[in-house]
Amino acid sequence: MELRKTTVRQAADAVWKGEITAHQLIEKTLKNCSVLNEGLNIFTYLAGIDAVEQAKAVDQKIKNGEKPPLAGIPVAVKDDLCYGVLPTGLGSPAFSEFISPVTAAAVERLMEAGAVVIGKTNLDDMGQGSTTLSSPNGPTVNPWLAGRTAGSAGAAAVATGVCMLAVESDSGGALRQGASHCGVAGLRPTTGRVSRHGLNAHCSSFARVGITAFSGEDISEVLDLISGFDERDAATAVCREGISEIIKAPGSKDITIGYPVTAFDYLEPELREIFEQARERFAEGGYRIEEVDLGLLREGLLAYYVIAMAEAFSNHARFDGIRFGKTAEADSLEEMYEQSRAEILGREARRRSIFGAFLLSKDNYGRYYRQALKIWEMVRQEFETVFERCDLLMLPAARSLPRSLEGESGFLEGWSEDLYCAPVSLSGMPALTIPAGQVDQLPVGMQLVGPPFSEKMLLAVGSASGSTGK
Amino acid sequence: METSAAGLEKAIKAIKIGLSLPEQDHLHRELEELLGWLEPLLAFNTGETEPLLFGHEAVNVLREDHPQEGRLAELQEAAPNFAGGFYLVPKIMD
Repeated sequence: MELRKTTVRQAADAVWKGEITAHQLIEKTLKNCSVLNEGLNIFTYLAGIDAVEQAKAVDQKIKNGEKPPLAGIPVAVKDDLCYGVLPTGLGSPAFSEFISPVTAAAVERLMEAGAVVIGKTNLDDMGQGSTTLSSPNGPTVNPWLAGRTAGSAGAAAVATGVCMLAVESDSGGALRQGASHCGVAGLRPTTGRVSRHGLNAHCSSFARVGITAFSGEDISEVLDLISGFDERDAATAVCREGISEIIKAPGSKDITIGYPVTAFDYLEPELREIFEQARERFAEGGYRIEEVDLGLLREGLLAYYVIAMAEAFSNHARFDGIRFGKTAEADSLEEMYEQSRAEILGREARRRSIFGAFLLSKDNYGRYYRQALKIWEMVRQEFETVFERCDLLMLPAARSLPRSLEGESGFLEGWSEDLYCAPVSLSGMPALTIPAGQVDQLPVGMQLVGPPFSEKMLLAVGSASGSTGK
Repeated sequence: METSAAGLEKAIKAIKIGLSLPEQDHLHRELEELLGWLEPLLAFNTGETEPLLFGHEAVNVLREDHPQEGRLAELQEAAPNFAGGFYLVPKIMD
């Protein structure tokens, strides 16, 4: 069975029918992972024997007459999500041996459904970034073009076919940009749909747990399984009484797609052309296109970074060598803290924590942080206004093609890549990245953004409209 | 208002991290770049908009009030040093 040519449904069916056992599927997957990992640097840890044991347990369930919906499906887990068997490295050398006492809720739910965790995937320093360029393990290489970053290692794992699903965090757009750079599909769900329990969020207001897969169709197989109320994450309380899903059939005249004309002005001409072509394809497919105004992208990006840095300052406080991380040898308590934290926090995490503390200081709180909170509200209102006229909105996922692995660029250049993703994070609304085209042998993805709990409509439209990464 | 250098020094102290002088100089240059980057944010007219404090309508999750065993043993294992019910820090007095 070649995973890149198989859907999640087909693979689980094959395991149910005994055409292949979960054990065989996972053995093969692990072999492929080892080979590909050498060149692409996708995994920080491979599950090995543990994955085989998980697969054997799935085979036993099937022998007992059960039909786990994700029987034997190999899943990669981003290394800021806890899985109690493998280390949770967080992109910090100080956590390379840290085994969390908990397993993330989304991972637990996938495993209950029969999926098998095959490894943890690479990430930026403390999960802060959309490139893996700040990872202490080195960057993950784009499977489409060596010399470019993959954006997210989970997307690279899916694009190469070593696994069928990746569970990933997304704050400012790592999941969505990774999917764009690797030519696969990636869903950031509505706030509250998927529990964040077990996620080490650097930015609690915007961090979400999402899914990357070959296609929207594969994500559809998984979404309900990982969604729902979890008493360990108060934001999921919205799901306790059941949510009102927005569902509309793809290709229908009933669906209006918002096209924010001026938003594309930030793109190079060859990228802009991809979205003009996508717009035409949507129109030919029977959708109504409506031009809309989305004028707060730049301000949304800036507000996102102010809030994210302030929250990183707070969230990283626990990494002190006493509660978490390794305790540094030092002569005094003060020195012990300073050295422990210097070993735990890498360059990006230091930068964001220190600037976060600066922006929250007495002199700066009102000017920067409070101003950012106001713009957060304005961005949320702007998206709400768009969805009064439209059912969904198309946007680029990334501002440019994947960054080169060589050469230094300024940190603000990297942050500016989040121009199209960070404002969507502020809105709290769901977004699906799907492949839209190619430039210079590299895939280019687009985001479909919808109102709260419109994931099923996004996935239906995305599955019908986007090419897959296969 | 204090200078960005003085503010940065306080911020570094606040997060308790050991940085060399060249690192501090580098961060100061980056902070100046950041403040320039954020200028459009300050210039933006937000009118009467109230700040958003929560991105979602979270409500308290009420659990039944009964004693639970807890997971202290597991959490102890995750800490670097733990003994006698306490997280251990280096001695500060002889």
